[in-house]
Formats: sequence, structure tokens, C-alpha cells
Amino acid sequence: MKNVLALILAGGRVDELSVLTLTRPKSTVPFGGMYRVIDFPLSNLMHSEVERVGVLGQYRSLSLFNHVGVGAWWDFVGRDRGAFMLTPSTGHAASDWYKGTADAVYQNLDFVQEQAPEIVLILSGDHIYKMDYRRMLNYHLEKNADLTIAFFPIEIEESNRFGVADIDDEDGNMGGTVIDYKEKPAESGYPWASLTIYLFKPAVLYDLLDENARKASSHEFGRDIISKMLGKYRVYGYKFYDYWGYTRTIDEYWQTNMHLLQENPKIDLDSWQVRTNLDHDQLRDRPPMKAGEHAKITTSLVYNGCEVEGEVLNSILFPGVKIEKHAVVKDSILFYDAVVKSGGVVDKTITDVDVIIGEDSRIGHGDDLTANQNHPNLLNTGINLIGRDVHVPPKLSLGRNCIVYPSLKEADFDENRYESGITIS
Amino acid sequence: MNSTLVMLLAGGVGSRLDILAYARAKPAVPFGGVYRIIDFTLSNVMNSGMDNVGVLTQYKPLSLMQHIGTGEPWDFIGRTRGAKILPPRTGEKESDWYKGTADAVRQNIDFIENRDSEQILILSGDHIYRMDYSELIKFHRTKRADFTIGMMLVPWEETVHFGVGITNNDNRIVEWEEKPEKAHNNLASMGIYVFNTEYLLETLRIHQEHDFGKNIIPAAIELDRVYAYPFDGYWRDVGTINAYWSANMDLLDSKSGLDLKAWHVRTRISEEGRLGDRSPTLVSPKGSVINSIISPGCRIMGYVENSILSPGVFVGPGARIVDSVVMHDSQIMASAEIIKSILDKNVIVGENTVLGDGRVDIPNREKPHHLSEGLVVVGKGVEIPTNCRVGKNCILQPGLTPEDYPGKEISPGETVRPRQVEE
Repeated sequence: MKNVLALILAGGRVDELSVLTLTRPKSTVPFGGMYRVIDFPLSNLMHSEVERVGVLGQYRSLSLFNHVGVGAWWDFVGRDRGAFMLTPSTGHAASDWYKGTADAVYQNLDFVQEQAPEIVLILSGDHIYKMDYRRMLNYHLEKNADLTIAFFPIEIEESNRFGVADIDDEDGNMGGTVIDYKEKPAESGYPWASLTIYLFKPAVLYDLLDENARKASSHEFGRDIISKMLGKYRVYGYKFYDYWGYTRTIDEYWQTNMHLLQENPKIDLDSWQVRTNLDHDQLRDRPPMKAGEHAKITTSLVYNGCEVEGEVLNSILFPGVKIEKHAVVKDSILFYDAVVKSGGVVDKTITDVDVIIGEDSRIGHGDDLTANQNHPNLLNTGINLIGRDVHVPPKLSLGRNCIVYPSLKEADFDENRYESGITIS
Repeated sequence: MNSTLVMLLAGGVGSRLDILAYARAKPAVPFGGVYRIIDFTLSNVMNSGMDNVGVLTQYKPLSLMQHIGTGEPWDFIGRTRGAKILPPRTGEKESDWYKGTADAVRQNIDFIENRDSEQILILSGDHIYRMDYSELIKFHRTKRADFTIGMMLVPWEETVHFGVGITNNDNRIVEWEEKPEKAHNNLASMGIYVFNTEYLLETLRIHQEHDFGKNIIPAAIELDRVYAYPFDGYWRDVGTINAYWSANMDLLDSKSGLDLKAWHVRTRISEEGRLGDRSPTLVSPKGSVINSIISPGCRIMGYVENSILSPGVFVGPGARIVDSVVMHDSQIMASAEIIKSILDKNVIVGENTVLGDGRVDIPNREKPHHLSEGLVVVGKGVEIPTNCRVGKNCILQPGLTPEDYPGKEISPGETVRPRQVEE
């Protein structure tokens, strides 16, 4: 698969992930106890032998640079291989921030053309899945398609959350011609949802992007380009039936993580052979996990650098997390180097890196499910979000659906009891 | 500290470690879940700010060479830094195997001469300890010594295994006994030597003997300034099965002084052809882990207490692992029980099988001095059938298959080895 160039759209921020994406793009949000979301497409590319990849970053791309580097952790180093970081640069206009997914690729067309690929594979960096792109590439070639899009089956009622298509039965379970495509239709949807994985014939891509750039639009592949191609180009749908995990909203992100904890997990990290950058956050320099004499760990993921003296139930602990004696962590996801002090309780909460929960504090307290005051649509199922480097004082009580903004220290908390739905900033 | 060149002697056979050092040099024996023994010395070198290391290998060097590679996990990479593997080579004479510690260094005099250094630090790769060698070098310089030896007090009954020195008030060594039957002091050599480079080169030219402890030191204290650098921290020679097991168990005792985190021990995460990284360890609903060290990639559905698990260990439902060291990718099937055992890599323990059963007072019949404290040692790749009982002080030799077992009961003190293939 030497003539395939992959482009990963990894710059997106999305407000839906709130404080988790204040300092990093969605693609480098930590996932699954040691990974970043972008590790999944990067590992898929490696296993699919697609070894040239441009990573399009924009929003707070430092952690993306740190993480991907030259791609050595995914074996992208070599004469015909490589990972290339593509960030906005001042171009024809004074400020050329990427205006949308299509515009991001358009602004890097010089890079793409220089690589002279036979197929351009466009991915987004924010899904959790295992796919061998070679099957889809073969289908694309077999059909002599101008564009092939990966889809997976949904209930028609869910159409308003996705780009959806009507696909004919040309090749049965494999795929078929895309008859119609709609972006998040409020009504009369279709049963196939786009996975935003695109294979383009390069000449067609160049023409379309050129045209798109001249017109006022949102400059998105889904909204502006696909439906305009129907009838004029050979557009195929490739059907995908395996696990597909979303991380677009807090609920989805939390749920997708929890899929790792099932008895036969839907996300089988070992058989998926996921790789990450073991230098990022000093993953490889940390000693193995240590469980103390009073530790109780059940249905949880733990990694090097964790120290557990208390109780951990149904949770995911990233490297360096420390759970002191008599502390309890339940249904939660704790990013790197969090500390839950003695007697602290953390229930159904996501804590970003370097958070400290003080002695006897209760995070995720009570049954009141009042939605978040600022983001009622986003945070209403009881999950709390604690931003990076927050130090929660001892004996604090926090309800549910709360958001705590990054870097708040003990003295910044005026109360010792916060009801559900509060945002502390 | 660029003026210190490190020579790391990593050729040791480690015969008292028995089957753990069967296919690897002693410094390459896994330790503490993700480490190998030599990581402690390499990390000390790194943490002391030194970055030029020659590693002298001889016995079964393959896994050691793979592990060290270019030394990049310890940051020995760059124009002026480096870790060089120095195996024996054919020289002027036909076969130049290293005949002893001094001989090994002598055969690499060209390596030393090619690098600018003021002093040579000679270390061995088979001890578990944390030392800041820059303090040792400072001591050596302050004393204007020709030769300084890292030394510590050991229990009197152990002096027979060591070089033992007597010092004056200034820490200068005035008498030396090599592995004495009856020692006059209990200040023992840790096998850590600092030489002024010129002095070492001169000494190795004058003396033709092969060993520092036996030959060079006794001669040197007569004529030259030889000093003892006193050390009193945690230090273990994990040269026996029991010492190896005890040092692993020290990792679980916060008062032992052995602290992986504080010591900044680094290793190469060996992936040996694995396509993906080891994932986080999953403890499932009926799994439980108490006072243990657990590496990534394990699946724990049973009970683990007071034990060290290397990456990729599977603990089946209802299985119990207690007081044990279990290395990479071993599988403990449902309801099996592992008591006070050391399992090398890729061991499979069948369902309902018990290791470490029964009475403790029967030492291993073939090696009563090596194995008498109740440990069971299982070699690499051994497969133990279901419903077996293996007694204490037993050795199961590497490569055993289920067909090799004499029966379901292995009595305490037995050694089981693969049957000879009949021609």
C-alpha cells in the first residue's frame, strides 16, 4: 500500500468535551488508561501498512506534536515512510486558519501533491475503532470509485446525529453506490452513518477542493462536498460492522471508556495491538503498579506508576495515579498523576491530569441529577468534570453534573459544599 | 563527569541462580516485574551523570545485548555519549575468553585508550542497589587515591563470599583477605572500583594476573593509595535463588529501603516482536490484588497477594498466587494455586494444579545448598498439567511438556527435567 497518503484531521476542539479540551485538541484526549484518542487511527494505519501520514493540527497542537513526533512509535520512520505535522501557515491571505475539514486539506494541497499519492485516505482523529483500511482500499480500487466513504448501520431515528446515506445493494454486505447523503437530517434519515473515513482519487479531490475554496460555505466534507458529488462522480459506501466508539460528548467519552471494563470487552486492546508514544508522560519510565496491603481493586484498568492503597471499583486509572488509604474511586476515569487523599471519595467523575482530591472530600455526592447550569444538554447524566491541576480542599462535597475549571487551588473554593449542576471557575 | 569512563562487567554465569540463568546472563535475569537486574546499575550510571559505558559480556549475551541496545533508555545516546557492548574477541592469541575481571578489562585496553578519561569506574551488573557514583568519584579525588573500592559492612557469616578489607582512620585499606574462611573484619567489597586511568593502565601492564580481588588489590595496598568508600544503603547480591526471591519481596515492604520510584530505575520495555504495546492491566469483577506489584498487560480474574507479576500474566478465575514471582506471559489457569514460587517466562500452570505444596524441610535433592527454604522454581516455557501437586524445593527444568511428568504428584525436593529424546 505504498501509494496511499493518509491525512488525519486532528485539529478539532469541540466544546462538547468542555474542560478536557481546554488545553489540547480532541485527538490527544487521554483514553483507556494509557492511550490518546489518536493512537487508534495511527495504529490502524500501521497495521494496514499505510505508512505515510500527514497530521493536520490546529487547536493547541503542542500535545499533538509531542505525541506524534516523527511517528517513530508507529514505525513510520524510513525512506518511504513518515509522519508529517501540518499546521496552518500564513498563506495567500494574512490569516489562514483552517475554516473546515475540506479547507484544512485544501491548505495543505501542496504537501499532498508533492507526495504524489494514488489514493488519499482522510481520517478524523477522534474515534475508537479497529479497522484494516486495506479492505476498504481494495474495494475503492475494485469499484474504480472517485470517493469511497465508510459507513456503519444505525437506527434511522438516530440520523440527526450523523451524516447519513442511502446505499444500494450492489455488493451486499460489502457496500454499494451512495444514492443519497444528508448531513444530520432532522427527519427522513437513512440507516447508514458516515464514519468520516474518505478515500479519494487525488485528481478528483484537487478539483473539488479548488471549487469549494472559491465559494462561501462551511468548507466541510460532509456538509458541502459529498452531496454535490452524487450523480456526477462514482461515490461508493463501504460498510463496516465492527465496534465503533465515539468520544464526541462527555457521555460518549465516558461510555466508550467503560466498554473497556466488560468481561469480554468490546474494545480488545490486546488483539487490536494499539500502540502509543511511551515517552509521552514518561509512560515507560514509571515503575509497575503497586497495590498496598489494604488495596481493593475490582473491574478496573491500572497501569505503571499507579499506587493503590484504597478501593478502586469500575474505574480507569492512568499512569501515576495514587489512591491513598480509605479512599474510594468508583465509576471514574482519573488521568495521569491524580491523587485521591485518604478518605476521599470520587464517584462517576473524570479528573484531568495532576488533580488532587483532598482528605475526606466527596466528589460525586448524592442522588440529585440537576443538569449543569451552563451546559444542561452536555452534562445531565451525573458525570462530574474536574479540570487539570485542580487541588480540591479537604472535606469538600460536590454534587453531580458539576464542572471545575483548571488550576483552581484549595483557596479558590469558597464553599465546602456545592450542589449538583454547579460550575466552579 | 565526562572524565569518568564506566566499564560494566556483565558476563557473569550466575550458576547459583540455577535455571533462571540457564539461557541468559545473570544481569539479564528479570527482576521487579518489568526490569532486569542490570537496570539498577545502568540507571545508577545515568543518575550519576555519567554517559560513557563499555559493557563487557561473555556468557549467553544475546538477551543482554538486545536489552542494552544502543543504551537509549538510559540516555546514553549522542555524539559524546554511548553504551558499547564489548564481547571477547580473538586477539593475538587464538582464544581470548575473559579469564577474570582484570583480564576482561585488560583485553579492552584499546577501548579505554581511545577515550579521554581521568578515571575508570568498574562495576558489575548483578547487584540491586542505588548509589550516586559521583559522590564516590569525589571521595576518590579528595583522598588523592590511586584506587578506591566501594565497600559495606555485611553479616559476619557472609564474609566468606567477599573480598574483605581492614582500613585505617582515613579509610585507607591496609589489609585484604579474599573470600576468607575466617575473616578479621566484615567490611566487604561490593565489586565497585575507581581507578585513575593512568594508574589502571600501568597496573594492568605490570601485573599479568586475571582477577582484581584475588591478585590486583592485595598487591596494590602494599605500594599504592587504595581507599575504601563506605556505603550503608540497600545493596543485595541476588546471586542465589533465595536472595533473588527475598529482594523481589523487598519491593513489597515499604521499610526495606528498596524503592523503584525514588531510585528512578529505567529499563527498556522489551517488546520482542509484539505489534502492539502492552495494554493496561485489567482486574476483573472477581479478581483481587493485595500488596503486590503488577506490570501492564495482565488479566487478573483470581487472587494475587504478596507477589510480583511481570507483563502479560494471566490469572484465571479462582486461581491464587501468593508470595511468588511470576514472569512475562505466564498463564495460571482456573483454580490453580501458586505458593512461594518463581515462574520464569511463558509458564503454563494447568487448572487445579498446586505449586509449593506440603512440607518445607526437604531440600532439593540435587542442589540442597541452593534450594532449601521452600521455594519452587519453574523454568522458561514449562507446561504443568492439570490437577498436579508440586512440593516445595522442587525445580522444574525449562521446556518441560505435560508428557515429561512422572505423575500427578511431584514430591518435595525433586527436580524434573525433559525426558531424553530417544534416537
